Amino acid sequence: MSILRSFKGALLGFSRARTMTFFAVMATSFSLLVLGLFSLIVLNLSGLIRYLEDKVEIVSYLRDEADRAMVGLAIEDLSRVEGVQQVRFVSKEEALENFRADLGENSDLLQDLETNPVPASLNITMKPGYRDTLHVKEVADAAARFTFVEDVDYGREWLRRIDVLKHAVGLVGAVSGAVLVLVAVILISSAIKIAIFSRQKEIFIMKIVGATNGYIRSSFLVEGLLKGSLGALLAVGVIYGVTEAFQRKIIQITGFTSEYYLYTVLAGALMGLIGSWISLGRYLRRI
Amino acid sequence: MITFKDVSASYPRRGLVLQGLNFHIGKGEFVFLTGSSGSGKSTLLKLIYQELKPSSGEVVVANFSSRKIRNRQVPYLRRKLGIVFQDFGLLENRTAGENVAFALEVTGVPRSFMRNRMSKVLTQLGLAGKAHCYPQELSGGEQQRVAIARALAGEPHVLIADEPTGNLDPAISREIMRLMVDINAMGTAVIVATHNYGLLSGRDNFRRIHLANSGIIFDGPCLNFDPRNAAG
Repeated sequence: MSILRSFKGALLGFSRARTMTFFAVMATSFSLLVLGLFSLIVLNLSGLIRYLEDKVEIVSYLRDEADRAMVGLAIEDLSRVEGVQQVRFVSKEEALENFRADLGENSDLLQDLETNPVPASLNITMKPGYRDTLHVKEVADAAARFTFVEDVDYGREWLRRIDVLKHAVGLVGAVSGAVLVLVAVILISSAIKIAIFSRQKEIFIMKIVGATNGYIRSSFLVEGLLKGSLGALLAVGVIYGVTEAFQRKIIQITGFTSEYYLYTVLAGALMGLIGSWISLGRYLRRI
Repeated sequence: MITFKDVSASYPRRGLVLQGLNFHIGKGEFVFLTGSSGSGKSTLLKLIYQELKPSSGEVVVANFSSRKIRNRQVPYLRRKLGIVFQDFGLLENRTAGENVAFALEVTGVPRSFMRNRMSKVLTQLGLAGKAHCYPQELSGGEQQRVAIARALAGEPHVLIADEPTGNLDPAISREIMRLMVDINAMGTAVIVATHNYGLLSGRDNFRRIHLANSGIIFDGPCLNFDPRNAAG
């Protein structure tokens, strides 16, 4: 039977069994939508975590009498530590300017100062992947060992919270993701089972008038494929719409690439195909 | 064309239903298959269209033997048979025309041929203007005629009817019977399984095979049948 005829037959089949088709398409769509939105949330949370991590900085405050040469050596030493991205020297003048900028309107408080109380510092940033408490503390400790370093601040509390958040998102993400995938599979296969079950009589008649198993299978499989694709397209449409709406009205969030959308539609089509194949199997075994 | 050689049949739960069946039905014959409910009429028909395999013996239908036939050949055997059921067996969400065409669709014939054949056979059965009607819109008698049309669409060797008048009133039943006799007159063999013995009246010379006690207790012209033997 030609592909085109199969497609036309499938569409005809849809119009004949409107409720069942609707149910199967909606089940697929809903499952994929929930999975998609969930993935979107995890994606954005990961992005947020990365953003927070980017801000991680080790600030080593230097004593005023620190020797230039020794500071230079310290910078070299620290730059060689595994995971260190950059060590930057911030002079007292630059630090004062930053302080003034931070104060904003209140910067006139600094007007009457005779000396610059703001210390110079070495600002150390870490490479991605090394921005956790363990590595950061290592570097901070190394910096603190230098005698001319007064104090080291690495935002301990902040870092700890990021760590906790990362683990939480990772764990909850994995478990929820697994559960959602399972639910999706069950929901979609149930919907397909019901759709095929409700056409038992049709299958019986097809066999009575002499349709081969191949003919019966191809008509149902094409239908399953289309239902799955349609459901996935709907889900993709909604997710895209949600992403756009967020980006325009609320906040710039990370969206999915077009590859993801393609994979989702393919996944839907595949699930529809496989679900139909398995559900049909029972009815075709009897001759 | 249909030969049963020492055939026995059983179901997993029901046990032995038929045993030691021996008979032959030739081209163009008309046979009444009678017997009370549960005597095995439907089972015998299932053996013919290979929905059931004999537990012993051999069923040969149009050169297909139950011993050698493969599952994937069964559809091709069934295309040579036209089967009609008590509940009509029509697809509710297709029109009468589409129901008839369905039998041809599965064989992969071209669309135009399908259309022609479909209207021809519907006209033959007096349903010329009803091709666009859905089963719910047709009377019982009309629905059964659509079923018969579908059974005849592929020009089968045999028309097999399992209690075709079971859901119809007496007048319509007689009409359907007349139809079957007409079909037979045009060369198609016809087997009618029924426990409605009223259908046999006036058909004394027609062949009758009566089932009782898991076997054939009578095989001959209707007028030779002694009703006292009905229960075997």
